[in-house]
Amino acid sequence: MKKFAYFPGCSLEKIALSYNTSSVETAKILGVELQELEDWNCCGATTYFHVDQLLAYTLVARNLAIAEKEGLDLVAPCSACYKNAYFTNKYIKEEPDLAEHINYALEEDDLQFNGNIDVHHIMDIFVNEVGMDEIKEKVTKPLEGLRVAPYYGCQIVRPRKNGEEIENPQFFEELVSAMGADPADFPERLRCCSASLIMTSRRAALDMVRVILQNAVDSEADVIATACPLCQVNLECYQPQVNDEFGTDYKMPVIYFTQLLGLALGMSKKKLGIGKELVSAAPIFGEF
Amino acid sequence: MTQTRLLIIDDDPDYVDGIKSILEKADYEVDVAYNPKDGFKALETGKYDLLLLDIMMGRGAEGVMVARKINKDPVLRETPVLIITGVREQIAFLFPGQPVHPRFLPTDELLEKPVDPNLLLEKVEALLKEAKAKKAE
Amino acid sequence: MAAKPTFSQEISNLLYASKGNPLKTCIQCGTCSGTCPVAEFMDQTPRRLIGMINANLKEDVLACNTYWFCASCYHCTARCPSKIDIAEVMYAVKRYSIWHKTYSEDLVGPTFSETFVRTIVNSGRSFEPVLAPTYMFSMGIKEVLQEAYMGTQMMLKGRMPVLPTKIKRLDNFKEMIRRIIPVGGGK
Repeated sequence: MKKFAYFPGCSLEKIALSYNTSSVETAKILGVELQELEDWNCCGATTYFHVDQLLAYTLVARNLAIAEKEGLDLVAPCSACYKNAYFTNKYIKEEPDLAEHINYALEEDDLQFNGNIDVHHIMDIFVNEVGMDEIKEKVTKPLEGLRVAPYYGCQIVRPRKNGEEIENPQFFEELVSAMGADPADFPERLRCCSASLIMTSRRAALDMVRVILQNAVDSEADVIATACPLCQVNLECYQPQVNDEFGTDYKMPVIYFTQLLGLALGMSKKKLGIGKELVSAAPIFGEF
Repeated sequence: MTQTRLLIIDDDPDYVDGIKSILEKADYEVDVAYNPKDGFKALETGKYDLLLLDIMMGRGAEGVMVARKINKDPVLRETPVLIITGVREQIAFLFPGQPVHPRFLPTDELLEKPVDPNLLLEKVEALLKEAKAKKAE
Repeated sequence: MAAKPTFSQEISNLLYASKGNPLKTCIQCGTCSGTCPVAEFMDQTPRRLIGMINANLKEDVLACNTYWFCASCYHCTARCPSKIDIAEVMYAVKRYSIWHKTYSEDLVGPTFSETFVRTIVNSGRSFEPVLAPTYMFSMGIKEVLQEAYMGTQMMLKGRMPVLPTKIKRLDNFKEMIRRIIPVGGGK
């Protein structure tokens, strides 16, 4: 069994608990062990970068160092955690002075980081490590007739990591197809969910959420699939506020892609944390 | 006798104007670098007798990184370093009321902004004198 | 030796690995503003902000909400034909405004960031309920009630943290931070 150091991140402790369990459980069925990183700390979201980027890199490096000590690559299910870990890893590898300085700080926790591991988003594990063929083979309950809007959001694609396609990525659509569902043509799939603006600039954020929800409705999606806890919370939990602000009537379920994948793999709804939604997904999942 | 040459590495142009003119009036020759990268390069030329170093620059507390790099270099470490910082004020929200860390580079002198001109000159003079004495040994 | 930097150079000096002044390569094409999903809520669009930085309109730049309304979606960065990392420029201006306390008082962003980072350096993990007061104060009574209702719903579904969590090796963690930012405590 292929093994990774799994960095759940703060949101997955509670708010996105169902993303946590569905990630670990679906991975297991697909032959991937996600071993939770020992004593991990917060990745800093975007806020450290507003204060001190060296601090941001150091705190992320602590997580990288713990993974390296285990001899495992790091996997993050949250897009923001992933972006921070990916670029911290890259910058430390590129800049010896930065690596030296950060390692000086890591000494306080008896750690060091030598830049010997890679960082992945969990989507990458399913798409590239497991692969579509393997997934198709293991699907026992194809999600036939379910129209899924694949919402990429930002940081799994941007900023560009390694020369990959970022204006028109297709891996999420392919994954949805592999589950036997129908990927909706969803033009706003790469548009920002408003991230922390939901807390700091509410009016702007609700409008950003509205645009995405409307686009999902226009593309006749039954459900939006996400790959990030912040995207999920913004698109789902703030629907009543959006409806109140704009006089709309959205009731669009927003589900983690790992939950859909788990259903297609024949897992129980309970095991996947389905039922914790504020916008009920029951109407669409009745038949699966 | 050649003039004593000082280097300031500080990203705040208005603050630099102030201390530069104080130091120049006291007959020092003063050069300035406004970011840590250029600053370290200038210092490596080896023509400076003392460095005045800010902490919060560039991506964050890069002054600490520069000071540590100097300390590790057997030649550069001979140059006395006077830290002049407003770090406590700049990130007071993180560590309210707490002092600059006592373990931070114990060999260096540290002044907090705003610096009294007389105290600045006094510290600079004392550090230069100390360095000269060390050299003569 | 180096001439006194302009405001544009000051911002460049804050950027990661900046060589020269990347902002100067801006051709004012407006791709960033056309791409930015928050542009219509900003006092100045991203294109104008860069233009204003390059024109050294320091006070006007610092007074506008643009950089605190950046959601870090990196769409502008991905598309800039001059390859300016615009999201990174926004971070740089945010740092400038935090370090110099020049941000406008009615913005939520700076206090939110400060509280968030303070929570992390004290516990190692984030805790959402601590953050709520930083943005609730800016809301009307209706929004506060909506927020409270949502919080209750989340709690009923087992999605709301009740107690803050801490990492185990918190003392080491705090000492680690002091090696990067040399303020406070110490053994």
